Parts: sequence; structure tokens; C-alpha cells
Amino acid sequence: MLRMRPFEVVRPTTVEAAVAALIQHGPGAVPIAGGTDLLPNLKHELLGPSHLVALGGIPELFGISRGADGGLRIGAMTPLDEIAASELVRGEAAVLAQAAGLVAGPQLRRMGTLGGNVMLDTRCQWYNQTYFWRSALGFCMKKDGTVCHVVKGGSKCVAAASNDSAPALTVLGAELEFAGPAGSRRVPIQELWRADGIHNKKVESGEILVAAHLPPQPKGRRSAYGKLRERGSIDYPLFGVAVRFDLDPRGAFSDVQGAVVALAARPLELKGLAELFAGLSPEHPDFEAAVEAAGQAAYKQCHPLANIPGDAAYRRRMVPVYVKRTLRAAARGQGPVHHV
Amino acid sequence: MAARDQHGKSAPWSPTPGGEPQFQVVGTAQRKVDGLAKATGQALYTDDIRLPGMLHAKILRSPHAHARIRSIDCSAALALPGVHAVLTGASMPIKYGVIPWTPDENALAVDKVRFIGDEVAAVAAVDEETANEALKRIRVDYEVLPAVFAPEEALTRTDVQIHENPEKPGRGNLSKHVRLEFGDVEQGFASADVVVEGRYRFHGTTHAPIEPHCAVAQVAPDGVLTLWSATQITHYVHRALARVLELPESQIRVIQPALGGAFGGKSDPFALEFCVAKLALVTGRPVKMLWTREEVFYAHRGRHPMQLAYKTGIKRDGRLTAVDAKILIDGGAYSSFGLVTTYYSGQLLTGPYDFPAYRYDSTRVFTNKPPCGPKRGHGSVQPRFAFEVQLDELCERIGMDPIEVRRRNWHGENTQTVNGQRITSSGFLQCLEAVERASGWKQRRGRLPFGRGLGVAGSMYISGTNYPIYPNKMPQAGIQLKVDRSGLVMAFTGGNDIGQGSSTLVRSIVAEELGLDPRDVRVLAADTDLCPVDLGAYSSRVTFMVGNATIDAARKLRRLIQGAVADSWQVSPQRVFMGRGEVFDLEDRSRRISTREAFHIAEERHDTLGSTGSYNTPTLGGDYRGGTIGASPAYSFTAHAVEVQVDTETGRIRVENCWIAHDCGRAINPMLVAGQMEGSAYMGIAEALMEEHDINRHGLHAGPSLLDYRIPTSVDTPELHALIVESLDPEGPYGAKEAGEGPLHPALPAISNAVFDAVGIRLRELPFSPGKVLDLLEQRAASSPSGRLHRTPSALEEARP
Amino acid sequence: MRVLRLEINGDHHEVGAPDHWTLLEVLRYGLGLTGSKQGCDKGDCGACTVHVNGRPVLACMTLAVLTEGARITTIEGLAGEHRRRGGAGVDPLQDAFDRCGALQCGFCQPGMLMSARALLEREPDPSREQIRQALSGNLCRCTGYTQIFQAIELCAAERAGRTPAPPSWSAQPPWDARSHSAPDAEPAPGVSLPQGGR
Repeated sequence: MLRMRPFEVVRPTTVEAAVAALIQHGPGAVPIAGGTDLLPNLKHELLGPSHLVALGGIPELFGISRGADGGLRIGAMTPLDEIAASELVRGEAAVLAQAAGLVAGPQLRRMGTLGGNVMLDTRCQWYNQTYFWRSALGFCMKKDGTVCHVVKGGSKCVAAASNDSAPALTVLGAELEFAGPAGSRRVPIQELWRADGIHNKKVESGEILVAAHLPPQPKGRRSAYGKLRERGSIDYPLFGVAVRFDLDPRGAFSDVQGAVVALAARPLELKGLAELFAGLSPEHPDFEAAVEAAGQAAYKQCHPLANIPGDAAYRRRMVPVYVKRTLRAAARGQGPVHHV
Repeated sequence: MAARDQHGKSAPWSPTPGGEPQFQVVGTAQRKVDGLAKATGQALYTDDIRLPGMLHAKILRSPHAHARIRSIDCSAALALPGVHAVLTGASMPIKYGVIPWTPDENALAVDKVRFIGDEVAAVAAVDEETANEALKRIRVDYEVLPAVFAPEEALTRTDVQIHENPEKPGRGNLSKHVRLEFGDVEQGFASADVVVEGRYRFHGTTHAPIEPHCAVAQVAPDGVLTLWSATQITHYVHRALARVLELPESQIRVIQPALGGAFGGKSDPFALEFCVAKLALVTGRPVKMLWTREEVFYAHRGRHPMQLAYKTGIKRDGRLTAVDAKILIDGGAYSSFGLVTTYYSGQLLTGPYDFPAYRYDSTRVFTNKPPCGPKRGHGSVQPRFAFEVQLDELCERIGMDPIEVRRRNWHGENTQTVNGQRITSSGFLQCLEAVERASGWKQRRGRLPFGRGLGVAGSMYISGTNYPIYPNKMPQAGIQLKVDRSGLVMAFTGGNDIGQGSSTLVRSIVAEELGLDPRDVRVLAADTDLCPVDLGAYSSRVTFMVGNATIDAARKLRRLIQGAVADSWQVSPQRVFMGRGEVFDLEDRSRRISTREAFHIAEERHDTLGSTGSYNTPTLGGDYRGGTIGASPAYSFTAHAVEVQVDTETGRIRVENCWIAHDCGRAINPMLVAGQMEGSAYMGIAEALMEEHDINRHGLHAGPSLLDYRIPTSVDTPELHALIVESLDPEGPYGAKEAGEGPLHPALPAISNAVFDAVGIRLRELPFSPGKVLDLLEQRAASSPSGRLHRTPSALEEARP
Repeated sequence: MRVLRLEINGDHHEVGAPDHWTLLEVLRYGLGLTGSKQGCDKGDCGACTVHVNGRPVLACMTLAVLTEGARITTIEGLAGEHRRRGGAGVDPLQDAFDRCGALQCGFCQPGMLMSARALLEREPDPSREQIRQALSGNLCRCTGYTQIFQAIELCAAERAGRTPAPPSWSAQPPWDARSHSAPDAEPAPGVSLPQGGR
């Protein structure tokens, strides 16, 4: 068995108590949501907390509800399979339902939460290994060492953000609500990230993610998620792309946004999409040419590294393929794009 | 009566002369002896064993791919409270190896470590956590040596000597070399109309059984050592323990509990078995060691990476003229079964097609990586892949249908291969016909829309061999039957049931022969105290050899019982029929008793009832060194047809259907045979498409987990269609032959051949990653006149009227 | 160390365990319920699948302390649940697995059965595609999944009063190689002949 080092579990029933517990136990305390990311990392001795602050007993962290502004509030502890099956989410935020429905496998979607997926640790084949394995290598700069095994002579960690929910929430304009010692704050999800594989999120100590807030989605919004992975289940993304189109009442595109994940340490927004599709519609004769151009633009912007397991050169070749397929799927209100 | 010389048409297990026997149990789908126990969680696997006072053991592994051990300081570990013992190689210096000619392993490294993961020390402690902590306190002083990972480099580098061999100093890192030639190969090429040469590559895969290795040892107060282990080879482990621990074999007992998958990965003696045994002896407490999934990857013994160069000549009429093979085999750090692997890489290719001339030159090399060994289809899956793809290339060149060419070259039944192997039954033609029909081959191959294609491949495999690993003339399989007055018959067999259902097979045979309800037969397997020796579950020998031994034992009993009842009824024994739990007079059906009553009559007549049965192979194989390796009393035959859809944008190959036709001689339990066929095909498809045992540039396994070493989930697996063919082998039990390994082989080349039909590219390197497919598609598009991809009529189509 | 109060298979247990023990460790080593298996211990294989409040989760990735108050069902409890619902013997799904040959080495099967049972509770008559999806977190190395699908389909069909299509190996008799003739066989169902190449 992969035995974990001892820790104590604290089971608060309110957000305030959770924050207080994190502060009380300092850097030795981490929150635990579904545990599906945390436990393997603990078993790999990637961290050695003294206390786990369990969030599963805090009712306000659960559930999908209509916000006061007419948008959706999704509690951070809402399981991914509930999000994938939710009529509300499927109706208004299809890309998020699709992304949630493709995370890992069935059991892990029952255990895993939206918050856990947003707050996922970055991943790298040189990092997500046992202590013995990493020691044979002399460790790496993300944990216990100083060298990067992905980029020779690299000075920055390039472990990959691997959370499918992140690009989906990005294109939906989500804001994340944190609670911490300084109180509550909301931040647009794009502003959460740092391009640093070691600490890729701007989060203060003692903060926990409370909920994701989606603004009211425009009526003509269509969105879809595309996920490249080797198997049809269980695997993390080798590349993920979320796309949304907004259509005006005449059926023409008024806006388009794309975001990608599983490249480097932070999810990225694809640049220049709006210009390519301006004035077009899904049925427009130039739509396909715009899709093609968008694929090429994505290819230029996306540079997969040999961080996560999976041929980096092949992943790069798949960037335009998956971006194009997801654009088409989103424009038609279909998706997800997934080989199985 | 020993089975030793009872072979051929008059063998006791041949069909009764004068017609097909009416079976009551054989040929029907029977439940397994342990099915419900497994379904309810009651079956006891090795890690389920818990003994009072049991300690937990862990192994310290080398972080270096190649290093000399200067010293090991265990003092800090021993000082940790809860630690009962620490072992190093010095405590077990005697070398072992599953093949007696190549004993190059130690339970714990004595002076050198040879790959990252090699075992260095072992700790027994009160629990796993303490044992883990103790490992971290062991100080090993290594002198790091240069390591070599590429087999070509290992052959040439004189500065890296992985195994010192004082008797053969010039040997370098050579593990084994075999070069054999049969017939005149050069003449064969000269007489060919078309000769094709090609290079093929197999990257390397591992077994990935869902159960990690586990062993528990206990020493009784009187000194008898008992080892429970998830092993396929209780008998060989028994012998190895005695050798390494310097204990008499009679004072050691080895038991195989329910086992969670093996596929050849549990058919070596392993460090954990020696360590728990030694630790139990040293501490006086029971000791358990359960490997983590990562450790299973280091233990490996998986399929050897091979670089294969084939050259084949063919005539325009489709007849092969000669085959030449040169193979470089990457053996990893130890020999394991490597001697056999090297022979198998050539010996097992000479069927189902007639090779008028054949030559192979195979070299196995040591490298500083986890040792390779036998994986389902040991040593023959890679050559079969290369050859069946090359055969398809030859078909393309001469414009002949791939199934037709295979038909024309079939060697037939009751013949001999070019390398001296005796072929008895062969249902290969029916296998071809079955997949041809099931896949709609004639109507669809070469005619499906671009991106979709059909491929075919054939193969042959051994049902055990003539070679008992250690030289001896004793039976290869033995069984003991005990008759109880309750009406129960108990069978004791050394045959290891590793999930394939060998104990169920034994039950079915005993029930058939004695006319019993299978529920009145129980089987106890793989306990060296209680069961006669069986050599183990490897080389697909169990159905054939244990099955024959069981018939032998059961028929002896039947004669005893029939004789006693006949005496009691005063009729001739031929009139006494045993069936369906009853015994009756064939000529007076009103005279009938229960089988239980018949047992009483027999016990009164013959005293305590029981019998033994055994089987040994006839003398087989060519008359040359190595000629017995690969010589089997019967060969199975397989054909696959595979339908693929290739996504030319992503390079991804999706197998839509896999039709598996397998000649198993006779399906004693067709449900279990189908399960073996489907499971084998699944594993072959997995190796073709996604499995990659990858050692990185540091000598570390790139991803020793079931997340990174990918095996197909239920959504990744195609529809598998098992089509059973029966050729009724004259020497198999009721005609049965193997079904556990043969049906894997054709999957890999059939997929490559289907991809060729679909998009016109030749996949010669495994696995068929999407990146490789895209590269080949790009090359093909670049070389096509239009610069685009489309289905070009094959030479075959051009030849059609 | 804490005394955990766990409800497992309808029984209330008090078991001492440290907070850092997983549910799998408590089941196997604390309570002697060894039916749930350890294949990888980090969520990659599904062999440890149990039900928490009727839904399949991975016991190796669940902290035991966080299951207090939940209803846990393991493979050992399936037959009991069946009997509580008025049945006899083992769960019909367990029986169907045995009848279809779905249990080879059997090591993945406790987890597989828990996922399958949860599927049939939600979806009493699932399509093969739904079965594939529901089992896609449970790795099997022995069967190629085919006989597992057949077992689930058999169980669902019998409950619905239907007879499912027989598996390929029993749908036609074995091809008899001795007489060198093959049973009459059309191309397999689902194989559609082409309309012509492109």
C-alpha cells in the first residue's frame, strides 16, 4: 500500500470555522474536498501536512442554484457528476457540463468536486511520482530539488495545469468566490493564475474556494469542450479547449472566446478568435475558413511541453485539430469533442 | 498406469473408436469452482491473509541503474522501534534463476545493482509505516557505474559489464545468441519471384495484472516453513526456496492462494518470496510483503523489446520459399526466461505456414533496465507480428488475397515443420474461413470507404512443451483423486489456477469420467504438501498436461468402481455405466444405484479408494541443440480479422470489431475458452495501440503506475467475437489444446494490416501511436501524385477481372 | 487514533483508526473485510470500489474518518442487500457474472460488481454503451470486458422478463475442423456490406 504520513482531520461545519482551522494550523494545514487530487499527492509524499481541513461538512459549499443576478452559483464542493448531469448547467453552461462529465472516470466524478478541479495542483511526469522515484532522479524544482527535467537549464517550473473545468469557466466569464482570514473576495477566474508551475494560483494562506459564480449567460450563447487524452476514461487531459460563441438575434456571431489547458502552468486564452469570426454565422460560407484560420492561430499560440506524459510533438499537432473540432461543435450547439 | 508412453490414437483419452462420445459435462458451459467465491469477495488472495503476530516487510531498492555496493549500514533502521529484522544480500548469497542454466539473480543484491529498482535490503517491522520509515534509514554506499540502456550499445560497449562472467570474459553483455538454419535459405531466395525485406520494432510491454505481487511466510515451531505466494509456479518456487535458504525441500511448503492475474509476470521466483521466508526464519514471526504497484513495474519480466529484420521470398503462386530473421532482443538486467525467449523468437514461427527454408539469428542482450521475461505469448508475439505484416506486404506485391495466401501455405495436419516440430491436429483453415465469413471479408476488404479497413493474421502456439525447465524424466503433471463415502470426489492437483479456470477443468473432467454432478467434485490446487507436482501455469501447458493426467487418474478409478459393481451384480464391467450421479446396467436399466452407493461397494471391495494420474510429453523436437525448445505435443492455431477506422486528422486507430477464430482442439468448457480468447485479443489490441513499457533516459520507468502505463478501459475495448474451432487433437484431453496465449498473437499484425487496407500505410513499429500514424500518412500524401490521400486500388484489385 | 463509528453493510462498527487511514485500509486491515481489493492504491484501477450512500466511490482515495455518518456497502454486503429486498442467495448480478464466465482471476470483480450494481439501480435496462461508460473506471486485465457486459445484460434482461441474445461462442456450435466444413455463417450481425468504395 502507499501509506500516508500521519495527519489529523478537522471537520468544520461552517466556512468561518474552516478558515479559522487553516489559520490555526498554519502552513501545515491544507483543505480537502473530494480528495482525488490530494490523496495521490500525499501518497507520493509531495506534501506532508499535519492537518487536513475537511470541507465536506459545510452545507453552504454544496449545490447549484440561481444567483440573485440570474446567473448560476455552483458551490465548490458540488460533485463533478452532479454538474455534468444538471439540467441547469447543461442548458446554460454546456461547456462546463461537458468538461465536468469528461474528468477522470465515473467514481472520481462522484468524489471529485468543482472546487477541487479548479484548485488542482499542476502536474508533471517528473513530479507526480513516489519519493523513491523522484529521489532516483535527484528531485526537481517543484519539489525537493532545483532542476527542471522538462526544460534543460530551465529556471521556471513548467508543470501543467490539468483542470478541465478551468477553460470552461473562463469562457463562461466565471468569478471565483474565496473566503479567507481577510474576509470574502471574488476574482474573475483568469486572474487567479500565475505562470509558475510550483504555485500557479494567487491564493492567500487560509483561503478556501467557496463557489463559482457564472454571470447570466446571453440567450444566444453556445459552448463546447474538447478533450484530448489517450484513453476514453480515467486519464488527465493532454490538451483541453473550451469555446463559446455568442450569436445575435439574427444568428450571426457577436463574440467568440476560447481557452485551453494542459500546456504549461496556467490555462490560456486563445487570442484573436473574435476577429476571425466577426460577422459570420455557423451557416456562413466563410465559417469553415475562419475555423481553419483559428486552428492555425491556436497552433502558433500553444506550445505543449514534455511535462505531462504523452508525446509533446503529437499534442501540438492536435491543437489545431481539437480547436477546430470544438469550434464547429460549439457553433452547432453540440459537443463534447472526445474520441470516445 | 503412467501416461508416459500412452500417446496417439490408442491413448486412453482419445475419442472412443466408433463414434463421437456423448459427453455430459465436457463441451458445456460450466460454472467455475471459485466463481461465486470471487463474486462475493470470499475468495482468499494472498494479501487477504492475516496471521497472528504478522510482521510487514518492505524492500529497499536501488536508485541507480548500475552501481557497485560498497557497504550497507542498517544500524539506524534496526534501532527504530518496531523493526524486527533487516536483511541484506549477505544473508542470501546463493544465486538462483528460473532457468537452471542461467542463475544470475540474488534475492537481495550482493555486490552490484543492475537497474533502478533492483532489490538491495529488506525490513520486517510491526507495520508498513514503520517498515517504510526503516527503509529510509538504511544507508547504502554506492559506487555508481556507467549504465547502458540501448541494446545496440550494450553489445558494443566494453566499459560497461553488467554481469561479470569469469568463464567467458569476451562475452560482454551478451545474454544469449542462437543461430539456426533449416534448409537452404539462399537457394530459397534465389528461386523466389518476389523477395521482401523489412524492419520491425516492438517497444516493450508488461503484464499489469490487477493484483500486485504478495507473499506471506510462516515458520512452524517444528521448523516447517510455509510460504503463501501469488505465483504461477509453486513447484519452481519450492525448489528455489530450498536452494537459496539452504533448507531441505521436504521442510518447505508453498501454497498459491487465489491469484489476481499473472500472464507470465508471476512465473519467476521473486525477491519478496525469499525475503519473507528469510525474515520469518530470522524473526520467528509470520511476515507479509505486498508490493506497491510501482514495484510491480520494477519486477517486470515483461515482453522483450525487439528489433526485427525479416526477409521472405514468395512465388507468384503464393507459396513461400524462404524466411530469414535477424532479431536483437533487449533482455533488461537479468536472464529470467531469456534463454528460452531467444529460442522461442525463432522456433515458434514455423507454423501454420510451411517454410521450405528458414534461418534465424537472435541475440539477447543485457541492459540496465528491469529484466524482461515471459508475457503471454512468450517470445513469439513480436516475431509473429513482424512476419504476418511482411506476409501482407508480400501479398500486396504478388496481388493475392491475404487469406488465400495463408491458405495456400498451410502446412497441413500430421506433418513436421522445417525445424523438426511435430504437428498433429490443425484447424487453421477453419479459423481462416471463420473470420473470413464473420468479417464479410470477401465483400468488404479493399472496398470500404477510405479510412476504414479489414486486416487478417494467423498464428500458432504451443500447448506446453517438451522442456521441463530442469532436466528430469518425471511426469510434468500429476494428480491425486480421493473418493469419499459421502459421494464426494476430491482432486488434488499441483496445477496453478491463475484465473484461467484450470481447477474448473479438473472438476469437469473428473465429473465426466465418473458420471458425477460437478458439485460432487472439489478441487484443491497448488499446495506442495497436499498436491502432486505440476510444473506450473506457463507455456499454456495446464489444460493439456493436467487434463491428461486427470483423465488418467479418473479412468483408473472408474475401472476400479465399475469392476467392483460388476462383480456385485455379476455382470461384465462393460455393462456398468456411470452417469448423472447414477450407476446402472446398460442391459437392464432397472438395476441402478447412486454413485455414492457404488463408491461404498467399491470401497468394500478394494479398501480405501484413490488413484493417481500423470502425464509426460513424448520425446519431441528436432535433433539439434535447442530442438526441444518449442517442441509441443500439440499446437493451437488462431486467425484474427480486425476492422479498423482510422481518423486521418488525429492518427487515432479505432478497432471496431475483432473476430477471433481459435482452434483449441476441443472446448472442454466453451465459456471459459471464449473468455481466454477475448482476454487474449484484448491484451494484443492493448499492446498494439497503447501499452508502452518505457524506461527513460535516466533508467527510470517513465510512469510506473496504472495511470501512466495505460491499459484499455471498457470504453477503449472493441467488440470481441470469439469463434471456437475444434480439430480434436489425438493427444489432447478429449482432444483439447491450449487457448490462453495463442489467441493474442494475430491481433497486432491484423491491426497493422487493417490499417493498410484503410489508409495505405504500413505500421511496422509498435505501439501504433497516433503520432506514428500521422507521420506515415504525411509521407504517403507527400509521395502521392495528387499530394492527397485516397484509396488506391491495390495490386489485387488491379488483377481482378 | 480515533474511534470511528461506521455503518458498513447494514452493521454498525466501532473501529479504531488514525485519521490518515483510508477507508480501504480500515476495511481490509481494521475490519478484516478483505473483499475490496487494492490494485494501485491511488485511484487508477477501481478495484477498491465500494458504495457510499449507494454511489460507487474509490475506497483507497476516501479517508475513513470522512465516512462517518454515511452508509457504506462493500462487496460482502451485496448479497445481504439482496436478501433485505426479499431475495434469496446471492445478488442476481453476482450469479449472472458466474453464469457468464465474467470472473477469471476475479481480482477486479468486487469493484466491477459494485459499479455494475450501482448502474442497474439507476438504469435497470442499460444499453451496452451505458454499461461501458459506467464501468470505465474499473480496469479488468483478464476478460476484455465482453463477458462482463454479457453478465450485466443477462441480469437486466431476466429482470425485465427478456432473453438476451446469446454470446458469439454459444450462438453457433464450434467449427468442426475434422470434416473441413464450417457451419453456415452469414457475416456477423452489425456487419453491413458496403455500398461501394469512394
